Amino acid sequence: MIRITHPQDFWSGLLFIAFGAIGAYLSREFTFGALTKMGPGFLPTILSYLLMTVGAIVTARSFALRGGEIQPSAIKPQVLIVSAIILFALLIERVGLIPTVFIVLIVASFASDEFKLRDAVLLGVGMSLACYLVFIVLLGLPLQPLAWNF
Amino acid sequence: MDVFANLALGFSAAATPTNLLFCLVGCLLGTLIGVLPGIGPIATIAMLLPVTYGLDPLAALIMLAGIYYGAQYGGSTTAILVNLPGETSSVITCIEGYKMARNGRAGAALTVAALASFFAGCVGTIIIAMFAPILASFAVQFRSPEYFSLMIFGLVAAVVLANGSVIKAVAMVLLGLLFGLVGTDIQSGVTRFTFGVTELYDGIDFVPLAMGLFGIAELMANLDRRFEDRSQTQKIGSLWPTRKETMLAIPAVLRGTGLGSLLGILPGGGAVLASFSSYTLEKKISRSRAQFGKGAIEGVAGPEAANNAGAQTSFIPLLTLGIPSTPVMAIMVGAMMIQGIAPGTALITERPQLFWGMIASMWIGNAMLVIINLPLIGLWVTLLRAPYRLLFPCIVILCCVGAYAISSSTFLVMMMAGFAVLGYAFGKLGCEGAPFLLGFVLGPLMEENLRRSMILSFGDPLIFVQRPISLTLLLMSLALVLMIVLPSFRRTREVAFQE
Repeated sequence: MIRITHPQDFWSGLLFIAFGAIGAYLSREFTFGALTKMGPGFLPTILSYLLMTVGAIVTARSFALRGGEIQPSAIKPQVLIVSAIILFALLIERVGLIPTVFIVLIVASFASDEFKLRDAVLLGVGMSLACYLVFIVLLGLPLQPLAWNF
Repeated sequence: MDVFANLALGFSAAATPTNLLFCLVGCLLGTLIGVLPGIGPIATIAMLLPVTYGLDPLAALIMLAGIYYGAQYGGSTTAILVNLPGETSSVITCIEGYKMARNGRAGAALTVAALASFFAGCVGTIIIAMFAPILASFAVQFRSPEYFSLMIFGLVAAVVLANGSVIKAVAMVLLGLLFGLVGTDIQSGVTRFTFGVTELYDGIDFVPLAMGLFGIAELMANLDRRFEDRSQTQKIGSLWPTRKETMLAIPAVLRGTGLGSLLGILPGGGAVLASFSSYTLEKKISRSRAQFGKGAIEGVAGPEAANNAGAQTSFIPLLTLGIPSTPVMAIMVGAMMIQGIAPGTALITERPQLFWGMIASMWIGNAMLVIINLPLIGLWVTLLRAPYRLLFPCIVILCCVGAYAISSSTFLVMMMAGFAVLGYAFGKLGCEGAPFLLGFVLGPLMEENLRRSMILSFGDPLIFVQRPISLTLLLMSLALVLMIVLPSFRRTREVAFQE
């Protein structure tokens, strides 16, 4: 079996190929046109194929290169951060800014190893009030402080 | 003289009490976020964009100028005190600055960095005021082939100057260009890559992309690493450089400013190149070369001046040609777009007050920084030691509110989450985000200009080499490509990025 000696390049090459393939696939339905009259598919198609080519080179090269280990990820904080953002999107129009900030902040705080509930609650109260003052009162952004839309 | 009349106009527009207040707040906020380890200026500006939404255009730009300088200086502070560079250009500051800090001269290093930046910023402002109108009149001759070649040059430069693998940077540029094409094709009205999502018809919104890719993704990467080394923050000591240090620093500042002003005008990361070359220059001509690597003040003063002068003059291509030359400038374009300002030649003639106000505001932002930040340095250091677990949730909130508030759309918040995951993956795979961002911004512009050039020449691609300005730009791009291929330059590049 061939060993992958440079995992970073191996996987980034595959990522580029995947994006290129998606781009090329979706570009099929657009008119390609000609140089004199470039259609909407002209540049996307060319770029997609170029991207796949470069991706293939990156992956191919990864068998010759050494190093580039992918550092291990801490799964829990990453999942929590992304969920916190999605939660913000789900809540903001339903309950308004103040409760959303409070809840999202507590969820995000969980991402840290040194999570302390008391600190998170205090920070949540402070931050939701600060956001209300800065974004709504001071900057006048069109956000609702409180809402109930379900 | 015309230049001074224009600058006076700018200052009268920019220096109102309210604007100064916004500049001050921007400066404070920029430093506040910029000083956090691992968060570079791109991420800082992206995160703080929402704060400027509600303001009128000039106030918003002044505040952004403040944020920008604050972020840069905050980055230098972290580089000097904790040896953690937030961006490529402060890598250089780390080398000598951190050594100085270990010798107990952190205060002097910080002061010299601030004053060097300020001096360079002043010179840079005057250069912009003098040359921007000249370049703009030159830019009138630019047609689509010239613009296309200029963008090619900018992208090639971005690839050459990206740290890490060149081929991956090429791929990132291509990927960025592809992402830039999402949305409605202006010519045919066909919607591309939108998956039927209405929010994507106008293209991917810049702000959630930048905040996800840089802000949130950097924060996620930091959560993997943790910052044990922050306890080793160095003591500041006296803020004032000694007589000998001053005598060494002044000529270095002058050289750095000259070098930076020149290189900054080049599209594609001039500021980074400027600080690298300034460091090399100082090392080469220094009489006490042995001091380098052990905390040479010239090694802080020169590159900091070069960096700032370069950052300043890199506004020239943006303001006159409307083409961002660095990722930070790309963010500034995004900010201007939100305010309904299209950077480019027309800006000078049609909205002189805004144009000159903006240039004046850069100087004000710079001055504000020196006045505010040096006395407050103790506060920033406290912040540097503040527990990360309290800071990052606040940053998440800031980004969410920002992404949502652009157009009250929850889709943009979701999209930011998506780009955060993508940016995090890029980081894990050792792919640079900066070339991607530049490609993304230039994508639609490139398509537009390529298309127009081809119509102009009836489909003859030779048009790009038949026009002198376009040919020059393409030859310059070729020279850059050759530089990478040549082994001797490649080695210096690797050494430069490893240091």
